[in-house]
Amino acid sequence: MPRAIHPRIRLGRRPKALAQYLLGFTGFSPAFWLKFKGKRMRFTSFKPMLQATAVLALLLVATGPLRAQTRAETLRYVTGASVNTLDPNIPGATRESFAVSLSTYDRLVSFGRKQLNGKWVFDLDKITGELAESYDVSPDGLKITFHLRKDAKFQDGSPVTAEDVKWSLDRAVTAPILGKNQLLTGSLTSADQFKVIDPLTFEVTLPKPDKLALPNLAVVYPIIINSKVAKQHATADDPWATAWLKEHTAGSGAYVVESFKPGEQVILKRNEGWNRGTADKAAFFKRIIVQSVPEPATRANLVERGDADLVIDLQASDVQSLEAKAKLKVISTPQYNAVTFVSMNNQIPPFDNVNVRRAIAFALPYDDMFKAALFGRGAPLFGATWNDGKPPNGGYPVPQPVKIDLDKAREYLKAAGLPEGFATTFSFNVGQASTAEPMAALVKESLGKIGIKVDIQKLPDAQMSTQINEKKLPFFIEGIVAWLPSTDYFYRNFYIGNQRWNYSSINHPELTAVAQEARFEPDKVKYEEAGLKLNAIHFSEMPQIPLWQPNQDAVMAPSVEGYTYQFHRQVDYRDLSRK
Amino acid sequence: MSSLPALFGVLVFTFLLMRVLPGDPAVFFASGPNAGKEEVELIRKQMGLDKSVPEQLTLYLYDVGRGNLGRSMMTGQLVTKDLRERLPASLELTFTALLIALVSAVPLGVLAALKPGSIIDHGVRLFCALGVCVPTFVSGLLLIYVFYYLLGLAPDPTGRIDVFTSMPPSRTGFLMIDFLIAGDIDGWWAAFRQLILPALSMALFVIAPLARITRASMLVSLGSDFVRTARSVGLSWRHVVVTYALRNAILPVITIAGIVFSTMLGANVLVEKVFSWPGVASYALDALLSSDYAPVQGFVLLMASLFVLVNLTVDVCYGIADPRVSIE
Repeated sequence: MPRAIHPRIRLGRRPKALAQYLLGFTGFSPAFWLKFKGKRMRFTSFKPMLQATAVLALLLVATGPLRAQTRAETLRYVTGASVNTLDPNIPGATRESFAVSLSTYDRLVSFGRKQLNGKWVFDLDKITGELAESYDVSPDGLKITFHLRKDAKFQDGSPVTAEDVKWSLDRAVTAPILGKNQLLTGSLTSADQFKVIDPLTFEVTLPKPDKLALPNLAVVYPIIINSKVAKQHATADDPWATAWLKEHTAGSGAYVVESFKPGEQVILKRNEGWNRGTADKAAFFKRIIVQSVPEPATRANLVERGDADLVIDLQASDVQSLEAKAKLKVISTPQYNAVTFVSMNNQIPPFDNVNVRRAIAFALPYDDMFKAALFGRGAPLFGATWNDGKPPNGGYPVPQPVKIDLDKAREYLKAAGLPEGFATTFSFNVGQASTAEPMAALVKESLGKIGIKVDIQKLPDAQMSTQINEKKLPFFIEGIVAWLPSTDYFYRNFYIGNQRWNYSSINHPELTAVAQEARFEPDKVKYEEAGLKLNAIHFSEMPQIPLWQPNQDAVMAPSVEGYTYQFHRQVDYRDLSRK
Repeated sequence: MSSLPALFGVLVFTFLLMRVLPGDPAVFFASGPNAGKEEVELIRKQMGLDKSVPEQLTLYLYDVGRGNLGRSMMTGQLVTKDLRERLPASLELTFTALLIALVSAVPLGVLAALKPGSIIDHGVRLFCALGVCVPTFVSGLLLIYVFYYLLGLAPDPTGRIDVFTSMPPSRTGFLMIDFLIAGDIDGWWAAFRQLILPALSMALFVIAPLARITRASMLVSLGSDFVRTARSVGLSWRHVVVTYALRNAILPVITIAGIVFSTMLGANVLVEKVFSWPGVASYALDALLSSDYAPVQGFVLLMASLFVLVNLTVDVCYGIADPRVSIE
């Protein structure tokens, strides 16, 4: 093969030239190093390397303390999710976006906090002013008057006026955004209900004395926007500037957005002029970094090594080992406004038979599931004892008097006319796999003992929500959460109507009537009675089986203080400080 | 130009595939605590899902023709913007990994071929087997555990740059280059330290095919007539091995490197996830899981175009490595 040797003279040189070219390109060329050092030296000598190291070390020493100081004033929060919009009202907004909006925008009012079993949680019954200095409710409960703070300013320096409040709340109830459906639950449905009395006084009129009206103004959506700025960016198609506000903020909140990279990180800078916190002063941290770190093990490493200050979505196993090492502060709060269920579609046979549902309720291995899925980190909703078979209180959720009892389960199956059992599928979504997978295996094993053959089905999240929406899943794991956890709210939203959140598809006229009535019941004793009635119906019908309230495990550096469990199940950065 | 029909095919195919997949993105994205039917309809309208599939396809093709790939529901940004921001991150990582892989695989393969059956050969084989059978996310997590968690040598594995370091003015999108242009050596070093672990864990996985193919083709080339002739005329060892044998053996390595590169770009999703690397692959995976159509379609189109480009580059490289290719 003479041809192969033929080009040797030309070839001998070319690779070298190429290598030199490449080296030059990547910045490793000797010429580059010579330039960097500013002296003529041989690249192969170790001296320049040593000197470069020395310079670098000096630089590190010099910038060290400065960096450490700003580090203490910075909160680095890592999360598996991400922020996708700066306006929490945009359909598709993530929970992390909610958390950011709490810091960048103010609302008229906010929730206070209380201690529950030694841990700080939000207090639905204590509404304090945020942009409103105070508020009065008329004796008939139909008018709420807000007196705005005189010193409140937007981040651009202009004062917050009742006009801005009106524009913002009009937007929340009329624009095609998320706030609309939420505010509906507080009887806030139309712009006519909002009235400007004078630049610092604002009035809300209600059709009925709805006790959820005021709390609804403290949730994530009704942000107060600088209407002058927003209007400049409104277009004919988009009169409420939703497109612009998605990527920009125009609020009066405790933090200013410094940089926003959707899906990666958000950096917030303190608004020095903000004084609407509980302590009437600016927030503690000068900077907040909200960073997406998808891998849970990495998040655990980061917080353990002290590189991150706070994380709330670690795997239960990691939380347990971090807690055992006792180097970090772990605050575990049962999510008392959330419930995890094993749900059954009450319209699909055989689950349309109440005895089948009861059989399942007595055939679930509750304790094993609780340990396998959550490592026992949560508040169980099983294994209670009810005196005379009556619910102990009218709250929701209430621990159920169920435990594994296979003989009882078999009896119920016999009563249902299915002594031999049946076959069904049991579904959960991929996003929940770390907790749901061990649960599903245990359910399958246990139900197998009473003759129910279970096929486990793991569905991608979008597919699972579609099938639930179309009411096609017979038997599955799901969870619910309510921002405003009152008994009637839970029953009205999760047990009524042919809609997605009625997981069990229950259609029970009495339950519906009692829940609807309870909504406007001003009398506390009567409300409690209604709650007791609802809880009793729930147990006798057993539309779905409440399992537990999982813990929110907040793992933080020992120096971080003030963490409070919030209704939106995210961190309110304004609560935090460093000692 | 001849690749345009292929790209068009890919585009239509992905579009239809996404529609066939079960799962309604509108329902998924309407998962707020109070999302009702109204909201689902709103999102559906926003995503254009209220129209018929052929109509959607026509609109989509029209948009793509104008360089608009649609809007991502997940990040709320235009897909083109997302991809433009994320592609350099993926490319930088993949290039570095490929460089590390080539720099280590080719000498390893040559060494193994020079002494087949020796302890070195077996050593290389063992190394390659290990590299292939340990999935990238395992090696990634291991590297993090050792170098970050235990030794504290590596910076925290969170993306392309330490959160406390400021980004250089973006010129190419490649941090290694941008920092050099800006003359910020500290920044360059910080970015380099972030890059090295993910690149290493990706490289480990692809060293095996590269080293094995180098070894195989080196064996053929070393056993050929021209090498025997070269040896017989008394040329130096280096001359024989590097100039004649390797030069002739490098063609299949280039082919494999081209394929490996394309695979790496799409398949490095696990590494991107483990190291929180803001690349295109993890972006596409997140989009796929939430049935966010536009980003997935955009990603596939991007990958297809890159594949075409890589093939072109490989062809050009052939010409440089072996002038006979262009003659024939």
